[in-house]
Amino acid sequence: MPFVLLSALVINAILVNYRVIGGPLKILFLGGAFPVGFLVGRLIYARRSHVEILFDDTSFRVIKGSRETQTGSWRSFRLVSLVLDQLGKPNLRLYRSSKGDYVDLPISRTNADPQRFRDYVQTLISEVGIKETTPQVVEAA
Amino acid sequence: MDAFESNLLHGASRLIADLSEFFRDYKVDDTTFAIYAKGNTRNKGLFLSRFFAWTVLPNYPVSLFCVDEGKSLLSTEKLRMRMDTVTKVTDRDELKWAWLVVLSNRALSPQIVSFVSRYDRKELGLAVASTTSRQIVLSNNQVGRSIGKQLKLRKALGSNRRWIS
Repeated sequence: MPFVLLSALVINAILVNYRVIGGPLKILFLGGAFPVGFLVGRLIYARRSHVEILFDDTSFRVIKGSRETQTGSWRSFRLVSLVLDQLGKPNLRLYRSSKGDYVDLPISRTNADPQRFRDYVQTLISEVGIKETTPQVVEAA
Repeated sequence: MDAFESNLLHGASRLIADLSEFFRDYKVDDTTFAIYAKGNTRNKGLFLSRFFAWTVLPNYPVSLFCVDEGKSLLSTEKLRMRMDTVTKVTDRDELKWAWLVVLSNRALSPQIVSFVSRYDRKELGLAVASTTSRQIVLSNNQVGRSIGKQLKLRKALGSNRRWIS
């Protein structure tokens, strides 16, 4: 909305500069403030705030705007939980150890179902745990 | 279980405690808690409610534990074991109090009903529910009664029976 207003002000200034004071032409040009403002807002959101989480069975990447903010492998985590943020929205928390440091994935900013995504990640992490603790066959001399 | 957790995620407990972190299949010794939620008694809110909480409410750490016993028999000994595990975590993490919700796919035995309804230690609120008969039994203490009133366990089970406490 502020970008629509801003676009209207800029368009109005340009029209005044070209001595278009009134009439249907001015209304037509000012009406263009809506799509222009919306596009500018959308562009700024996409470049700065849009969050995307890319993942497969081995790793994940968090992309915020045009920057990659986090990257990691599911193998390096031991525990997963859902954490409610200040607004009560659930995000995913990945612990490297049971009481160690952690990484938060902002899943509330995506369209992922938090419980289903947590269960999926938990399955991946527990599979890693099972694989790591499977005893190896050793031949006795 | 998902419905119960979803209720909690949407703030079902907020009048009593602000549960902010939720684990699934959380292992403590031999017990696997289907849900383990951590939080504290001071809720967040916005502006006025946050100021009220900050000035009036104490900030005690509290937890919720939920066990799904499935079709295995829920005896008083087993329940005592679960309670001991919860008490251990309560002591370890210096929690003020905790909720323990035990779900069973079988009908509740009279011994369990009697044991839970007479339980009155204030540090542990106890609830035992049958997902088949939809009977819910609450412990005879403030924390236990709040499971019925606040946590919407009844709604999650689709219960049409009255509380016994």
